[in-house]
Amino acid sequence: MLLSKRKGNAVTDYLDLPQGTLDLLILKAVSLRPMHGWAISERLHDVTRATLQIPQGSLYPALHRLERRGWIRAEWGSSDNNRKAKFYELTPSGKKQLAADTKAWARLTNAVGLVLDMS
Amino acid sequence: MLNRLFSEIRFRVRALFRRDRLEQELDTELSFHLQKEAEKHMATGVSPEEARRRARAAFGAVQGTKDDARDARGISLIDSLAQDLKYALRGLRKRPAFTMGVVLTLGLGIGANAAMFGIVDRLLFRPPLGLKDPETAHRVFQHGRTQDRRPRVLRNFAFRRYLDLQRTTRSFESFAAFQTRTLALGEGSDTHEAKVTLASASYFQFFDVRPALGRFYGPAEDSVPAGSPVVVLGHDYWQARYGGRSDIIGQQLRIDRGTFTIIGVAPNGFVGAGDQGVPAAFVPITAYAHAARGPGYPALHTWTWMEMLARRKPEISEAAANQDLTSAFLASWRETIAANPNWGKLEDMGIRGELAPMLLARGPHAGRDAKVATWVLGVAAIVLLIACANVANLFLSRAFARRREFAMRLALGVTRARLARQLLTESLVLALIGGAVGLVIAQWGAAALRAAFLDAAASAVIVDPRTLLFTALAVMVTALLTGIVPALQTGRGNLNLTLKGGANEGPHRSRARPLLLVFQATLSVVLLIGAGLFVRSLSHVKNYRLGYDVAPVLYASANPRGYRPSEAEQRSLAEAMLETAKRIPGVQYATLTISVPFWSNEGTGLWVPGIDSVTRRGNFLFNTGSPDYFKTLGTRILKGRAFDERDRAGAAPVLVVGERMAEALWPGQDALSKCVRIGADTAPCSQVIGVAEEMRLRSLTGEREYSFFVPSAQHTAPPVPEIFVRVTGDPERLIEPLRRELQKLMPGPAYVNVVPLSELVDPSLKAWKFGTTMFVAFGGLALLLAAIGLYSMIAYDVTQRTRELGVRIALGSSVSRVLGLIVSSGLRLVGAGVVLGVLLALWGAKWMEGLLFQQTPRDPVIYGVVAGILLLVAVVAAVLPALRATRIDPNSALRLDG
Amino acid sequence: MARTPIDLLQGTLDVLILKSLSWGPRHGHAVARLIRASSEGAFEVLDGSLYAALHRMEERGWVEAEWGLSDKGKRAKFYQLTPLGRQQLKNETASWQRYSVAVAKLLTATVQP
Repeated sequence: MLLSKRKGNAVTDYLDLPQGTLDLLILKAVSLRPMHGWAISERLHDVTRATLQIPQGSLYPALHRLERRGWIRAEWGSSDNNRKAKFYELTPSGKKQLAADTKAWARLTNAVGLVLDMS
Repeated sequence: MLNRLFSEIRFRVRALFRRDRLEQELDTELSFHLQKEAEKHMATGVSPEEARRRARAAFGAVQGTKDDARDARGISLIDSLAQDLKYALRGLRKRPAFTMGVVLTLGLGIGANAAMFGIVDRLLFRPPLGLKDPETAHRVFQHGRTQDRRPRVLRNFAFRRYLDLQRTTRSFESFAAFQTRTLALGEGSDTHEAKVTLASASYFQFFDVRPALGRFYGPAEDSVPAGSPVVVLGHDYWQARYGGRSDIIGQQLRIDRGTFTIIGVAPNGFVGAGDQGVPAAFVPITAYAHAARGPGYPALHTWTWMEMLARRKPEISEAAANQDLTSAFLASWRETIAANPNWGKLEDMGIRGELAPMLLARGPHAGRDAKVATWVLGVAAIVLLIACANVANLFLSRAFARRREFAMRLALGVTRARLARQLLTESLVLALIGGAVGLVIAQWGAAALRAAFLDAAASAVIVDPRTLLFTALAVMVTALLTGIVPALQTGRGNLNLTLKGGANEGPHRSRARPLLLVFQATLSVVLLIGAGLFVRSLSHVKNYRLGYDVAPVLYASANPRGYRPSEAEQRSLAEAMLETAKRIPGVQYATLTISVPFWSNEGTGLWVPGIDSVTRRGNFLFNTGSPDYFKTLGTRILKGRAFDERDRAGAAPVLVVGERMAEALWPGQDALSKCVRIGADTAPCSQVIGVAEEMRLRSLTGEREYSFFVPSAQHTAPPVPEIFVRVTGDPERLIEPLRRELQKLMPGPAYVNVVPLSELVDPSLKAWKFGTTMFVAFGGLALLLAAIGLYSMIAYDVTQRTRELGVRIALGSSVSRVLGLIVSSGLRLVGAGVVLGVLLALWGAKWMEGLLFQQTPRDPVIYGVVAGILLLVAVVAAVLPALRATRIDPNSALRLDG
Repeated sequence: MARTPIDLLQGTLDVLILKSLSWGPRHGHAVARLIRASSEGAFEVLDGSLYAALHRMEERGWVEAEWGLSDKGKRAKFYQLTPLGRQQLKNETASWQRYSVAVAKLLTATVQP
């Protein structure tokens, strides 16, 4: 997750997402409205002001994995320029999974926060 | 959870059937993404090519994505299995040393099991080749009692029994009679001995066989009393002696005393029901009997020389058929007793028939062979287990070394189940290759085993469909056992920590490895104890004082082969043989004899004044010999003297008794000068003139077996032309000279046979020798494997703990302390294994008892020695890598990547 | 409380350890105890990971170690932050903040942007 790379003296922080968090963010993204892969990637990029960077190559395997597990569902539709694109949306079991993962995430942040905040 | 399962299945099924379409869709999806990304860049003003380049760069490898996406899709089972296979083979090719090591280890283990299974199968399970309907085919046995009321089981019968059973029973479709004898074939200088099966025509109907050439003989040629002089050749004999030519039908062949016409050839590998290998020829039993004993043989009560088979009618139960058989036996014996009233009373004889399975090892005459073979199969299985443990350990180390590769794949969407399946595929591939190697080893080894062990082995190969099936099973089990532990452990533990962590984030403490090691040590201990017990047992057998010397003695016998000498001729032939033998250089002593140890013996009636029914007390074996009898055989005379020239025909009859016979008949008294009446209770007293060292002539430990000796000159029957000869130097060198000289004396078609006595005595040691060799070989192998296992485990452990040890040393811990630490951990494990192994051996001891000779299976000396050996091996296997550990430079140890 | 296991990632573990040591030198066991206590039982650090992390940080110069006596009188290795380590703690804490804020933002969005 947090991996500091030393480039000379400057430290460039480059936050890498492990599989669990990526899944969570995808589920959340498509929970709002059906999205195609590129749109998801853009959203993550935008909302976080580029803090989170996902190698776009790991996005699609994650999407397929989630689809296989039945948490998202895929449908072909047409994008804004009337081009064919695959749209993903959340399924009912995906909704449940999203809720559970969000809770877990909250617990983690909470606990870390406790440790880091103590004074 | 169930929902998820359904969804997964649905998804995969779809993926399976619409593979191409899904590929296409993925292509579309990805190119859409790249287009949008390129547009985004173009919006900032760059050229289209630059925009596309940036888009692709941002995306990473497209193909890799496709692959991973495909992976994540969960493509068809077959596809992924093929992938697994490719991947596995690639990995194996990259590590030739590892692969070879594993394949060899598994090959040895599997091969040993395949070979032993082949033998056990043949002895215990597989019905004789070609037998029709094994459930209704039986070997006939008769239970009864000996003269001294000991129960015994017979499978040799007089011909009249065969006739009677056929006539009076209702439960059987047919009977067959047969016997295998070593007879002389050919004539003149071409005379050679071979095994010939004498069989009734019904014999061939028991088997599903067609002749390779010509035909079998039928009932017309097997008629009582004379039969027809026809012969069916065995396949191997036909190939060897007649070059497999097809024009041999109608040719003549001399067999024993008669001349027979060839009418056919048996199919390849046909053994029949005999237990002496493939016969050279098949001859109608009536024809042989007629030639050997004249036309009166069907009425004889005493010539019990042939075995019988019975085909039960399928609708009759075994119990009912047994009863039928018993009543038929009783009726038949009633006639025999009526003709020979001095044999006793029918009611006392306890006669009962038994229909046994065709396999000798499954009936009342099961010898030791089958038991030992089964034990050795068990031993082989144990060795395979140990080998599997070793290989499993190796796999574990490899899996640990590859954990980053695994973690990466897991992070990219491959499921744990898939990864586990791939590991199992690897172990299956190795097990398959090992199995193939094992079959090759089994073929080699089996040839050696057969020579040493199985007389009954047909010429068919040991490796056949049943053995192949067994081997496949062994391979599966091996693959499972070796692959399961690393497969189960994949993915456990913190992946991300693994991914980004250094090479050594602390010792990898898997609980499986020490357990495997204890397991190996336990099994090795059990095997070695077994080996030790067998070795000791064998040495007891070898050192067992038989009462005579075997090595320097040759046995020569004349085979009259139809020539019927008169009594006078027979006597002069025997004496001529004796004299000629004595004159050959190298011969020390020679004697006439009528019995051969473990091969043939005679008995006769004995009456001792003051003792009621001597013959009830046991089996009294009767021998006659020349004055040099005891010197020839190297038997000591304990009291009194042996016979000499004084004891001629007409002089006072004398005898020498064995020491146990003396003790049995005249306990506490001096046997010398006692009176014994031999042959009839009205015979004159023979005086005991000497007591000889006990000679074991029929069994090694028979309690109620006694022997006594009478000078040949005083024996009423003429001596048979059989002699023992004691030589100095190598007996093998004198066989041919002796044979040549004696052959010159032979009248007519008679010929002489000379064999070393060891050939006749040693076979009884065979089973023990075999068991010992196998146990020792396997025990040693097991020990080697366990040592390797221990060494590799400790060496591995040391590598894992390099930093910790380096730190200890840097902090001033003495080298010997560190050494002690490592060695003691290894010793503790092996020690646990030793304790478990000893307990296991003690518990299993009771089954071993029957296999050992004068050896208790709980011998503390052996247990102690084995434990010591194992601990010693453990120390050595632990010290070597430990020494390496002490040479770790503390600085470099600490600097290792963290 | 019912919970699913929380994967502690290396970076997170590092920052927790650094934070624990910011109160003064401690030996490994005490660090684990402190983390457990301050997270109210949520984090149970495994020995293997803990010492691996400590050694790693030692190598990078974020902590230094020396032998001393624990309060029970046993010999133990005590770790303490170096100046470089303190800097690292600041950086890592900031990174963590950004990360959790970013994810939280994504998770709490209800209307599409």
